Amino acid sequence: MRTARWRAALRTPLGATAAAGSLALLVLAVAGPVLWGSAAEETDVASMNQPPSGDHLFGTDDLGRDVLARVLVATRTSLGLALGATAIGIALGLILGTLPVVLGQRLGRMVVALVNFLVAFPALLLALFFAVIFGLDARGAMLAIGMAIAPSFARLVQTLSASVAGRDYVSAARIAGVGRFRLIRRHVLPNIAEPLVVNATMGAGGALLAFAGLSFLGLGVQPPTYDWGRLLGEGLGRIYVNPAAALAPGVAVVVAGLVFALLGETCAAVLGVRTGRGPVAGRARHAEQPESGKEAAGTGGDTVLHVDNLTVAFPAERGTSRAVDGVTLGVRAGEAVGIVGESGSGKSLTALSAAGLAPASATVSADRLDVAGVPVLASSEAQLRDRLGTSVAMVFQDPTSSLNPSMRVGRQLGEIAQTHDGTSRAEGLRRAVERLTWVHIPDPQMRAGQFPHEFSGGMRQRAMIGMGLMGRPQLMIADEPTTALDVTVQREILRLLRDVQHDSGAAILLISHDIAVVSQICDRVLVMYAGRIVEELPVDRLDGGAVHPYTRALLASVPDMSTPQDVPLATIAGRPPEPSERSPGCAFAPRCAFADDLCRSTDPVLEVVGPQQRAACWHPQRAESVSGGTAGEMPGGTAGQSPEQTPARVTTGDDQ
Amino acid sequence: MTGPLVFEDVHIRFGSGSRATWAVRGVDLEVPPGSVVGLVGESGSGKSSLAKAAVGLVPVASGRIELGGVDQSGRTLRRRRVQMVFQDPYSSLDPRMTIGESISEALPRGIRRAERRTEVARVLELVDIDPWRATSLPGDLSGGQRQRIALARALAARPDVVIADEITSALDVSVQGSVLNLVRDIQRELDLAVLLISHNLAVVRYVSDVIAVMRSGRIVEFGGGDEVLERPEHPYTQLLLESVPRIGSALGPSDHATRRE
Repeated sequence: MRTARWRAALRTPLGATAAAGSLALLVLAVAGPVLWGSAAEETDVASMNQPPSGDHLFGTDDLGRDVLARVLVATRTSLGLALGATAIGIALGLILGTLPVVLGQRLGRMVVALVNFLVAFPALLLALFFAVIFGLDARGAMLAIGMAIAPSFARLVQTLSASVAGRDYVSAARIAGVGRFRLIRRHVLPNIAEPLVVNATMGAGGALLAFAGLSFLGLGVQPPTYDWGRLLGEGLGRIYVNPAAALAPGVAVVVAGLVFALLGETCAAVLGVRTGRGPVAGRARHAEQPESGKEAAGTGGDTVLHVDNLTVAFPAERGTSRAVDGVTLGVRAGEAVGIVGESGSGKSLTALSAAGLAPASATVSADRLDVAGVPVLASSEAQLRDRLGTSVAMVFQDPTSSLNPSMRVGRQLGEIAQTHDGTSRAEGLRRAVERLTWVHIPDPQMRAGQFPHEFSGGMRQRAMIGMGLMGRPQLMIADEPTTALDVTVQREILRLLRDVQHDSGAAILLISHDIAVVSQICDRVLVMYAGRIVEELPVDRLDGGAVHPYTRALLASVPDMSTPQDVPLATIAGRPPEPSERSPGCAFAPRCAFADDLCRSTDPVLEVVGPQQRAACWHPQRAESVSGGTAGEMPGGTAGQSPEQTPARVTTGDDQ
Repeated sequence: MTGPLVFEDVHIRFGSGSRATWAVRGVDLEVPPGSVVGLVGESGSGKSSLAKAAVGLVPVASGRIELGGVDQSGRTLRRRRVQMVFQDPYSSLDPRMTIGESISEALPRGIRRAERRTEVARVLELVDIDPWRATSLPGDLSGGQRQRIALARALAARPDVVIADEITSALDVSVQGSVLNLVRDIQRELDLAVLLISHNLAVVRYVSDVIAVMRSGRIVEFGGGDEVLERPEHPYTQLLLESVPRIGSALGPSDHATRRE
């Protein structure tokens, strides 16, 4: 695969040019002195300082030697010295850069400080300084330039290796007794090699220029040896007599420098950061009104979210892959609906698409996709911003990244009122403080003046909900809002969401991988698997009433506070199919104990299996067919048996 | 067996001087041979710091962590009999090394090349992974499989104690079950001592013989699993228990009196 990438890079104009240039330089460096060595040394007093002619394409120097031959021969010296200097710089940089990992905290910090100090000096200044110390010859200049480029390389190595050294596999190797040097050789260096290679290649171009500079100033290569810088210096003295003599080495320096830069770019393209690939396929405008009578459950007159046959596809290696595949759902005003599924089930994409926030590379299509009366697919982005900005609120999993870290929380909330309602800044802030009070943030006046990092995780999530309340949300979409939170804070946030739903009348669409979390505040649960809804049921049917084998397996595989300790947990063998490798028939069939040929060949559709309950399954499992177990008792007497133990049990929660 | 893993009055500090924060403030805990001790607590309670200290990744400010009379808290220990499995299966395996190489690295020194291969195959079989997988890179494996490999690597070092730090919290619920089953089976088969750290009470309860509840760097409750969970004495343990979401149980009223009119 790696070789294939290199080969592909060679076919790009950039890669081809870089490769051809490198090859030419290499050939010149090897063959140049052999072919033109004698011509370059041959003095001819009769033709001193000649302008370009048929015999001497770029004229001759003040001893009558052919300038072109000298430039070609100088390739070996110039490149050799530049590469030598780069090698010195890299070696020193690697040593300085990895020392902190080897030395441990205290000494390591001193090395970091030293490197930071050296980086502060311009490289050329350092090179001049070292050149004077090491003596005015080629070796001295090579050492000088090598040492001058070492600090910045060391800094790069330090930054990269620090990020790798913090990873768990390095810790694991340490615990396993791997020594410090082996640790660097086996775990740190291989994982930072790519950016280093790219940087070193580009650095070689810099070294070449620096070398030419030193030699030009008379600090580098001394006669009788010569490199491009030296030739440039000599040619410049006679620029009015023979401009070509200065031009030729100048062009050589520029061309070689370019080749190094192109080579670096090519390496970066092959090894470096992989940028988003594939064409950006926008939203497919597929917004005809529903032609079929397919009715989403919960579709009434007052539906705030109406999704009909939603498909979200991504460009794949062959064709497209459908991450969401024909989802139909509806959320009524004031209702709380949960979507449950594992990672990759398409639950988050469904919610994001509903809010018009699907990633740019996704193609979203639907027979109908209306949110708060706004047709999402038929509206422009500006229209969506304007109309959904206040009527749909989003709460994400990670509140650290959804609040702007450089803005005070009050300002951030207030801005929404300013943008959408055109209020003054003071009024916006007043409203922000009020909303922070609603979401139970203590001392809201003071908190509004703080930055997000001064908030705890739960507090940030409250602020996000408060932000959603700045408008008049008809729908609040919460995507794993409590996954990053502790269990006590999770309960607080769930209670807050429930209170918000009651008080503001907003409907809630709660996405989670945890059925228990969803069951706490939702009326209805949709279970998603491989991009489709496989079961839809009222929350009070979850406990024993689920009929789809996947839902049942999911419920049984999670230990709860009464799972018997001496029985292995139920597991679901296999793994969900990737969107691209989905075979015909029911996507769960390969992992299902009840699957037969019908399941493997024909896709089941959602069908009514009970009151307000639908499932897409050819063999829905009724509660009776499940074997019983020993029921445990919960501390405090609360009922919490796992579903398989108490078939078709009706919930008797405290206030339900 | 070399005796229990003993934490004695362990203090762990981050930073120094006026900016120092104490992550662990005087923890006494014993993990007896062949038993599973569950350590529950919320983020910031110091449970992970305690685990890292036991494998020398974090220095202890004072106190002792010993296994069979050997101090475990030092950075340099020739052979660690305490091994650890980390939370994130995507960062705990070197992406450039085959899983065979990763596991082989953890084998005790002085094992010959030919034996190494059979050892790697043996631990892979222990965690229900096909030994031919030894040549795959971690990138080819799912999260659950990676966590099995990480467990195999810990077992390769022939430890007496395995510390499992939130090993299922990054996994999907359907995968979590199989990893927990595996931990339980291996613990029984090898008669290992396990310190299982989790914020998930149900997970801890399912696997552990003894449970310790940690808060703000201290252990606030300790006892047999049923004891602690059925008759919790510390108010914090009670709060934790109440907070576990359960299907069919109510969320309860909001703790805050302030409501929007």
